[in-house]
Amino acid sequence: MSIAMTEARPGSAPQGVSVTFDTTFRGLTRLALKGILLSLVTFGIYRFWYVTDLRRFFWSRTTIDGSPAVYTGTGKELFLGFLVALVLLVPIYLGLFAISLAIPALAPASVAISFVSLFVLGQYALYRGRRYRAMRTLWRGIRLGQDGSALGYAARAAGWWLLVYLSFGLAFPFMRASQERYRINHTLVGTSRLTSEARGRSVLGPWLLLYLVGLGIPIGFGVALLVASDFSLPSDLMVPKPGGKAGETILNPAYAGTAIGRLANALFFAALICLPAAFMLIPYYRAREARAFAGAVRLGGVRLASTLRARAFYGPYIRYVLSLVGLMLVLGLGGVLLALAARQVNFSFIHWFIVLGYVIMAPLGAVLYVRLVRARLWAAVATSLTVLNSEDLSAILASARGAGSGLQEGLADALDVGGALQIGL
Amino acid sequence: MDPLPQDPTVEAEGRYFDGVSARPHPVRLHLDARFRVTGREIAKDWDPLDLRAEDSVPPLMRVGPAHAPDRVEFSNAALAATLTARCPDLHRREGAGGAVRLVLWSVAAGISVLLVAVFGVPYVARLLVPLVPDSVEARLGAVVEPQVVRVLGHPPACTGEAGRAALDRLVSRLVAARRPDGSLPADLAVSVRRHEMANALALPGARVMLLSGLIARATTPDEVAAVLAHELGHVHTRDPTRALIQASGTSFLLSLVLGDFTGSTVIVAVGEALLSAGYSRDAERAADAYAVEMMARAGGNGAALADILERIAADDGPRGTLDLLRSHPLTTERAAAIRALAGPSASGRQILPEKEWGALKGICATTERSSDRSRTP
Ligand SMILES: [Zn+2]
Repeated sequence: MSIAMTEARPGSAPQGVSVTFDTTFRGLTRLALKGILLSLVTFGIYRFWYVTDLRRFFWSRTTIDGSPAVYTGTGKELFLGFLVALVLLVPIYLGLFAISLAIPALAPASVAISFVSLFVLGQYALYRGRRYRAMRTLWRGIRLGQDGSALGYAARAAGWWLLVYLSFGLAFPFMRASQERYRINHTLVGTSRLTSEARGRSVLGPWLLLYLVGLGIPIGFGVALLVASDFSLPSDLMVPKPGGKAGETILNPAYAGTAIGRLANALFFAALICLPAAFMLIPYYRAREARAFAGAVRLGGVRLASTLRARAFYGPYIRYVLSLVGLMLVLGLGGVLLALAARQVNFSFIHWFIVLGYVIMAPLGAVLYVRLVRARLWAAVATSLTVLNSEDLSAILASARGAGSGLQEGLADALDVGGALQIGL
Repeated sequence: MDPLPQDPTVEAEGRYFDGVSARPHPVRLHLDARFRVTGREIAKDWDPLDLRAEDSVPPLMRVGPAHAPDRVEFSNAALAATLTARCPDLHRREGAGGAVRLVLWSVAAGISVLLVAVFGVPYVARLLVPLVPDSVEARLGAVVEPQVVRVLGHPPACTGEAGRAALDRLVSRLVAARRPDGSLPADLAVSVRRHEMANALALPGARVMLLSGLIARATTPDEVAAVLAHELGHVHTRDPTRALIQASGTSFLLSLVLGDFTGSTVIVAVGEALLSAGYSRDAERAADAYAVEMMARAGGNGAALADILERIAADDGPRGTLDLLRSHPLTTERAAAIRALAGPSASGRQILPEKEWGALKGICATTERSSDRSRTP
């Protein structure tokens, strides 16, 4: 089909169109409740269809330049992929188990061996899952795609994590940027290739903040402790807790009041406060990273810009925690009232109430999580995006390649890595 | 329902996409008995019955023929409503629906998996146990024991010297008194750990673990010896290995269905299942009979097994998940069966002299704390 277009082109000034997302979430609660309840009664098998419904919902409510994305995956594909992955995984698990039995010298390391091999397998599965989602995504009839090698991606992940480990975590943002570049540079929209200019430097600041709060302060006290003890910690600094269980230790009271004792106590408190504080900074880092990486995406002359604020990542979690607390208060109050009533009736009634509360809480909590966290995070990322030079979008052409195998995401589900809604595909 | 020729015409502006390029083409949409799309060098004439709509947020609608890639997008509520009224298949999805059938199928699949877990796995485990070589079983024991110790909360091993000597003599007397066909592995290892629970455990690889609570609650050496002999009965029939295979198989199968497939949970579940789940009633009866006969041949009181089980039952009732009675529920028939097997003359006998019994009672007076902590991960 060749259509001669002689439309007047606007000037060369960058022209931005926004990415929109329908934030009324109409129909989402019903969809989530149905999906979760059916997953419960089907021993979890319905979750593949539920995930598919969720993706259709989120894809179709996200529009770029006025056109919604289309998700064409099916629950059946996910389910079959899961079954195939099981067939592959069972021998791997049995092999890992057999190794620890056959070579007793390896038995102490078997946990580490399992962890490393499952980690690499998990990264492999994540990349394949992403390929499936890309190939099931269409925009204006143009199918997305992903090339590159899942094995290569997993090998890179393993190498990078080793580097992160050896650098005490300092290499983390560079790993994130490198893996993001690999993913984006191998993503295709029709015949056009996305490219990413993501740089670890651009998120080094937020990461260092998190790093300093979480590790820097405790490490500082640790070093001070070492200096104060002339780099030879007394071996009796920790003593078994009198009357405590095996493995419980306390600071030796003999060191109370000394510089070493004070520093050791400070170290404990620093770890107690700083680690949760660093945990609270994770959404901040994630938001900064999402903004920086989104702004680094190019498609020919088209580029993305993001105005994502960290508070857009905090709000959903805060609202979710508050609603959970509220829900539990309501249920707890009901429980107390019932317990008072049951005192005259039947004591075992309370047990049933606890079971009932759990049966109500678990699906409601899951629905709230989808509605308040998943959807809000997706909305925050999507609506923060602007497509610059969007007139170049017209140059995108569909490619001849087909939708690809439908079995590619099963491994990720079987390994329990990745999620239904990986933001940014 | 068929659109009549005099159906009112609805018109709207829209954008046409040819499915080959992402370029939008402004078009005019025209719906009467047909759906016509006209624009610069575009003239499409579609049958409304062929049209399918993709998911979108109203008023935006994205429609096109079911088996062609081209689509039009428009945001006109009147056209959307008319189209919905005239195209019965507009929102039909291939392969959608069938949730009821899916639920029925998966419930059937779940029940069959449960049946396999309840009946198939024990059967397979019984078939597999004789095939497990001793060396593998010994390694299984080495893997499982730290898990069990962890679940119990790292109880320290009891190494009182005199008590250990008395226990060793008791074990060798029992082993020597076994029936010719009641073979026991050569590498039998009986250990005692300080724990307030009154319990004894047989683990794969001929490992038997006595908890000091059991020794403390016993009033005669025969009561300890009878429980020990009962566990040796399990060792003889390799019940622990069978239970281990069964527990791993079941939790593997269930985690397979429930989707939690991270392996680690399987290993943890095995340790706990081994502790809390008892053996079958038949296996218990066989171990009881084995114990009573062994006690009689060793010159002890086999009925003491019923005595100590009754005492623990009367004092505690089934409390925790790891209680002896949880895995060995005491019924009146069971106690009566034990006493009947032991015979009336059994109650006068005592397997250990008072002095050695005293030493055995004091086995946990001194314990080493550090050795078992360094061994557990
Ligand atoms: Zn038993």
